[in-house]
Amino acid sequence: MSEDLGLWGIPIAMLGGMIRVSTPYMFVSLGETITEKSGRINLGLEGTLLIGAVSAYGVSYKTGSPWLGVLAAGGCGIVLGIVHAWLCSRPRVSDIAVGIAMMLFGMGLSFFVGKPLIQPEAPQLPAIELASFSEIPAVREALRVNPLFLLGIALAFFLRWAFAATRIGLVLRMAGESKDAARALGYSVERVRMLATMAGGFLSGIGGSFLSLYYPGIWNEGLSSGQGLIAVALVIFARWNPMYCFYASLLYGAAGSLGTALQSAGVDVSPHLLNAAPAALTLAIMIATCSRDRALVGAPRELTVGA
Amino acid sequence: MSQITQMAPSLEVVAMTMRFGAFTALEDASMKVHRGAFHALLGENGAGKSTLVKCVIGYQKPTVGDVLLNNKEVIFESTKDAHAHGIGMVYQHFTLVQNMTVAENLVLVRDRVPAVIDWKSEHKALELFMDRMPFRVPVRAPVSSLAAGEKQKLEILKQLYLGRRLLFLDEPTSVLTPSEADEVLGLLHAMTRKQELTVLIITHKFREVNAFCDEVSVLRRGKLVGGGLVKDLSTDEMAKMMVGAEPLRKPAPRADVPAKAPRVVLKGIHALDDTGAQALRDITLAVSPGEIVGIAGVSGNGQSELVEVLAGQRHAVSGTIVIDGEPYTPTREMIRKKRVNILPEVPLDNACVPGMSVSENMALRDFDVPPIRKPGGLVSKRALRDKADRLILRFGVKTPSPTSAIRVLSGGNVQRAVLARELSEPSNVLVAANPCFGLDFSASADIRAQIVDARNSGTAVLLVSEDLDELLELSDRLCVMFDGAIVHETKPGATDTITIGRYMAGSLSDRASAHPDAAE
Amino acid sequence: MSRMWQWAAPAATLGVELGALLVATALFAFFLAFVGAEPFAVFGDMYTGAFGSAFAAQDSLARAAPLMLTALCTALPARLGMVVIGNEGALLLGGLAAAATAMALPTGTSPSVVLPALLLAGALAGGVWIAFSGFLRERRGVNETISSLLLFYIGLAIFLYLVEGPLRDPSSLNKPSTYPVGDANMLGDVPGMDVHLGLLFGLIACVIAYVLMEHTTFGFAARVTGGNLRAARVMGLPVTRLVLVTCALAGGAAGLAGAVEITAIHGSANATLYAGLGFAGILVSFVARHHALAIIPVAIMMGGIEASGGILQRRHDLPDAAVDVFKGILFLVILASETYVGKAEDAVQRMAAKHAAQLNALRAAAPAPAPVEKESEAST
Repeated sequence: MSEDLGLWGIPIAMLGGMIRVSTPYMFVSLGETITEKSGRINLGLEGTLLIGAVSAYGVSYKTGSPWLGVLAAGGCGIVLGIVHAWLCSRPRVSDIAVGIAMMLFGMGLSFFVGKPLIQPEAPQLPAIELASFSEIPAVREALRVNPLFLLGIALAFFLRWAFAATRIGLVLRMAGESKDAARALGYSVERVRMLATMAGGFLSGIGGSFLSLYYPGIWNEGLSSGQGLIAVALVIFARWNPMYCFYASLLYGAAGSLGTALQSAGVDVSPHLLNAAPAALTLAIMIATCSRDRALVGAPRELTVGA
Repeated sequence: MSQITQMAPSLEVVAMTMRFGAFTALEDASMKVHRGAFHALLGENGAGKSTLVKCVIGYQKPTVGDVLLNNKEVIFESTKDAHAHGIGMVYQHFTLVQNMTVAENLVLVRDRVPAVIDWKSEHKALELFMDRMPFRVPVRAPVSSLAAGEKQKLEILKQLYLGRRLLFLDEPTSVLTPSEADEVLGLLHAMTRKQELTVLIITHKFREVNAFCDEVSVLRRGKLVGGGLVKDLSTDEMAKMMVGAEPLRKPAPRADVPAKAPRVVLKGIHALDDTGAQALRDITLAVSPGEIVGIAGVSGNGQSELVEVLAGQRHAVSGTIVIDGEPYTPTREMIRKKRVNILPEVPLDNACVPGMSVSENMALRDFDVPPIRKPGGLVSKRALRDKADRLILRFGVKTPSPTSAIRVLSGGNVQRAVLARELSEPSNVLVAANPCFGLDFSASADIRAQIVDARNSGTAVLLVSEDLDELLELSDRLCVMFDGAIVHETKPGATDTITIGRYMAGSLSDRASAHPDAAE
Repeated sequence: MSRMWQWAAPAATLGVELGALLVATALFAFFLAFVGAEPFAVFGDMYTGAFGSAFAAQDSLARAAPLMLTALCTALPARLGMVVIGNEGALLLGGLAAAATAMALPTGTSPSVVLPALLLAGALAGGVWIAFSGFLRERRGVNETISSLLLFYIGLAIFLYLVEGPLRDPSSLNKPSTYPVGDANMLGDVPGMDVHLGLLFGLIACVIAYVLMEHTTFGFAARVTGGNLRAARVMGLPVTRLVLVTCALAGGAAGLAGAVEITAIHGSANATLYAGLGFAGILVSFVARHHALAIIPVAIMMGGIEASGGILQRRHDLPDAAVDVFKGILFLVILASETYVGKAEDAVQRMAAKHAAQLNALRAAAPAPAPVEKESEAST
C-alpha cells in the first residue's frame, strides 16, 4: 500500500497509529490531571486501567453492548478511586504507597477476573470513518477513528474551560494550591479530593475500556504496557494543562506507533527506544526547568511530588 | 447581609478577659474605637494584641467581656458571624492562593460564587471596583507575580471588595517598603476620614502611629495601660506605656572579664528572606570573648534571618563572618573547630529531630567523634547513653526516660536538652535566639544562668531576644535591630527602656539614613 | 522501668500489624466465598503451599530472596526522607550489566573471577542508576519519586533494546536473550539447601543495612537528615553526600538482585527478568516501615504467598492471580493501619510518661532504699 503513496506512506500510517495509541493516554492523563490539581497523586491508575479493560470486555461480552462495557469500566474506576481516596485521607498514610498497592491489587484482580475472558470475543466499539471520501485505502484506514478519541478531545476542551470558569473547577484548584485557603472558605478539602480521585478513576477506567474494546480489542495479561503509570509522567510533562495533555498524548502515541510505521517502511529502529523517548523527554524537561529553590512551574502547591 | 451598614461602624470592647487555663492573656481590657477612626493598637510581643483582636473577630470566645458594634451588643460564634457584620481582618501571613489570578482569588472569597463564571463581565466588574478604590492591583495577574507590597494591598482590597467596613490590620506594613507603607496607610486614612471605613491597626511603629492614626490604645502584659488621641500623646508617653517605666531588673552577677579583642566579627552582611525581600542590611557587629551582646527588636525585623545566617541555614548574599581571625563557613568541621554553638528559637523545629530519643538528640554534635564514635565508623550506644545520662542529670532535664522521643518533653525540657548538648563542652561562640520563649519561670532562670556561666568562662555570646527585660538583665552591650539593620548600640546601664523602645519602633535611628529607600 | 517501655512501642506496632493481617485475611475470605471457593480450605492450602513442606519452604525462600534486596532500594532512601520507586529499573539494568559483563570477559576466565565480577557489575549498574536520581534531587531539585519512575521506564527500554538487539544471542529465536553466562559461572545454592545463594545475599544485605542505619555514624547522620532537615543543616551535616551514598547503596542492592536472578535462575538476560520484583520490593519496604530487619520476615511472607499460587491453581482451580489479589488486599489493609500504629505509639508514650511521673512522685515521697537491696543486686 505504501508503494502507492511513496514516502507519504509513513506519516499516514503513523497518523492512524498515533490516534489509536494516544487515546488511552488521553483519558488517563486527563483523569490524573483532575486528581493532581486537587492536590493528590494517584499512582494506582495502571490497576484502574486494567480493571476498566477487563470489566468493559466482560460486560460487553455478556450484554452484547460495548457502550455498556465502557460505562461499566467507568463505574469500576470510580469505585477504585473511592478506595484510593479514602485510604489516603487517613492520617500517616503515604499516598505513594497506596498508589502502588492499588496498582498491584488492580492488576491482580483484573487478571483473576479476566481468566475466563481470554478466549471469547467481545463486541467491539464501532469506528467512525472520517475519510470515507478518499479512494486510498491507507488514508481511509488512517482516519478511521474511534469515538473515544473524539470524546477525549471534547473532554480536553471541556476541562480547560471548567478549570477556569466554573466554581467546581476553581474550588478544585484551590484545594490543590492551598489547603488552608480552601478550609478558611468552608470547603472540605478531603471531599474535593475524593470527588477528584473518583473522576480520575472514572476516566482511567474508560481509557482501559478502549484497550479491550477497540485496540488491540482483546483481553489478556499483556494488554497494558504501563500506560497507567506513565500517564503520571505525562501529566507533569503537560504541566497539568488539559490541552497540553492532549498534545502530549499525541506525542506519546506517536512515539508508540512510530516504531511499527518505520519498520513497515524498512527502517530499523528499536520500538523500545522510541517508547521510552517520551519518558526521557519528560525527564530532560524536568531537569531543565526545576531548580533547588523553586517548585516545578505550574505544579499544584499541595502536591507532594511537585517540589 | 442586611447587618452590614453602609457607614463605618464604631466598636467598643468592654472588660474583656481571656484566660487559657492558668494563663491570663488579656485582663479586663476596655477600648473604644469611634466610627471612622484610624485606631492603633500598640504593644510589645506577648502584650495581648492578637488575643484581643481574635476575641473580637470571633476566632475565639473571650472568657469574659462584651463587644458592641454601633453601640449594640453582638456575640460572634465564629469568624463567619463577624464577616456577616462587616468585620474583616488582614493577617500578617498572606491568605491568597498564589497560583491563581487576582480575579480568581476575589471571586472565590465571595459568599455566592456562581456555578459558571462569566469572566468577561466579572473582569469588567472588578475593573470598575478597582476604579473606585484608592489603590489597585492588576486584575488578571497571577498572585505569585505580585510584589509583597501589592499582595498586601490585594489583601486589603479583598476586604473592601467583600464590603467590610471595620478592618483589623495586623502589622500590615511589615512586608512593605517605607514608601509603600506610607501610600497604603495614607489611602486608608483618607477613607476613614470620609467615614467609609473604621480601621484598627496592630503596630509597633511610632512613626506610623504619629503620622496616620487618630486614636491609640496601648497594651502591656495583657492589660490596657493607656490610650487616647494621638495628638494628645507624645511619643515618649506612648513608649512609656508600651514598655513600662519599671526599674531595671538587676543585671545578673557576672565575673569581671578583661576586655579582649573581638572573637566574632560580622561585616556588611546582607541577606534575603524567604520571599526574596531584603532581610538583613549591612549588618556589622563584633562580639568579644566573655561578653554578652544582646540584640533587641520586635520580631520580624531580621533577627531570625541573622541567626539563620550564623547557623548555616541561610546564605548571606554578601558580607563576611570572621571568627578568631579566620573566615567562617558553617560546615560541621568548622563548627567543631571553632566551637560554635547555636540555640535556635523553637528548638523542637530547628535544633532537634522530634522522632529521635532524648539521648540521640543530645549526641547530634559529637556522634561522629570518639568516644561515641567507635573504630570502623560504628556508634557506641553505651557511650551515647552514658553521656546522655550524665547530661540529663547535670542539666536537670526531666524526661520519662532517656530513650523517650524528645517530642514528648515539655518545651522547657527540650530547651534544657539542647542547652545540655551545646554547653556540655566549653564553648567559644554561643548564639542564642529567644532561648526562654514560652518557658516557665524556673526553666527560664536555669537557662539564663547557664548563659551567664558560659559568658563568665570566656564564651562570646550573641543573645537575640524579644524579651527586653531579659536582654537588659543579661547583656554587656545591647544593640537594637529595626527593619534589618542595627540602628543603635548602647550599654544597659547607659540607657532606659523608653529610649530603647523608640529605637525598636523605628522612631529613632543612629544609622546615616533611616529610610534607605527614601534616600534614593 | 524504662526497659519495659522501650519494648512496649514496637510491641504495640506489631500488635496493630497482626490485627491488620487478620482483617486482610477476613476480607480475602469474603472474596473467596464470593467467587465460590472454600475460604478455610484455601487458607490451609496456602499455608501448605508456602511452608508446609521442605520443598514449599525453600520455594518461598527463593522467591523472598530478591525481594529482600529490592526492598532495600526503597528502605534506605526512606530513612533519609526520600521516596524512591525506581527499584525495577535498577534491577533490570543490574541483570543486564551482569549478562553483558559475562559476554565481555574472555572465555576461559575462571568462574571464581567471573561470578563476583558479574555480581559487582550488577550492583554498580543499579547503584549508578539510583544515585543519578539522588543527584538530580540535590543538584536540580527534581523530585526523586518522579525521576526514579521515569528512569525505570528509560531503564526498561534500554534493557529490552539491548536484549533484543546488540546483545542478543542469535540462537535464542523464540525468546530473545543475551548470551548465556555459562553454566560454570552460575550462582550455586546455599549449602544443604535447595535455594540459591541469593538468599544469603539478601539476609546479609538486610543485616548490613540494619547495622549501617542503626549503629554507624553514617546511619545516624542519615536518620537525622530524614528526621529534620533543618536540624541536619544547623549541625552542618553533609546532606548531599549522605543522599548520594545512600542512593548508590539502595540501587546497588536492587542491581545485585537483578544480577542474582540472572546468575542463579535465568542464566541470561531476557524479558522474564521483568517480573515486578522491583515494585513488590517497594511494598515490602513500606509494610516493613522501612526497617531493614523487618524486611526479612515481610519478604518471606511475600515469598510464601507467591509460592502458594501454584497449589491454589491445582487444588482449587483458582487462577494464580488469586495470590495477587490477596497480596493487594493485605498491603492495602496494612497501609490503612498506619493510622493506628501512630495512635498506638502515642498512647504508649503517654502511658510511659504517666508511669514515670507516678514513679517520680513515689520516689520523692518515699525514704531512701535500704542498703540491703544493693547487696542482693550484686549477688545476682
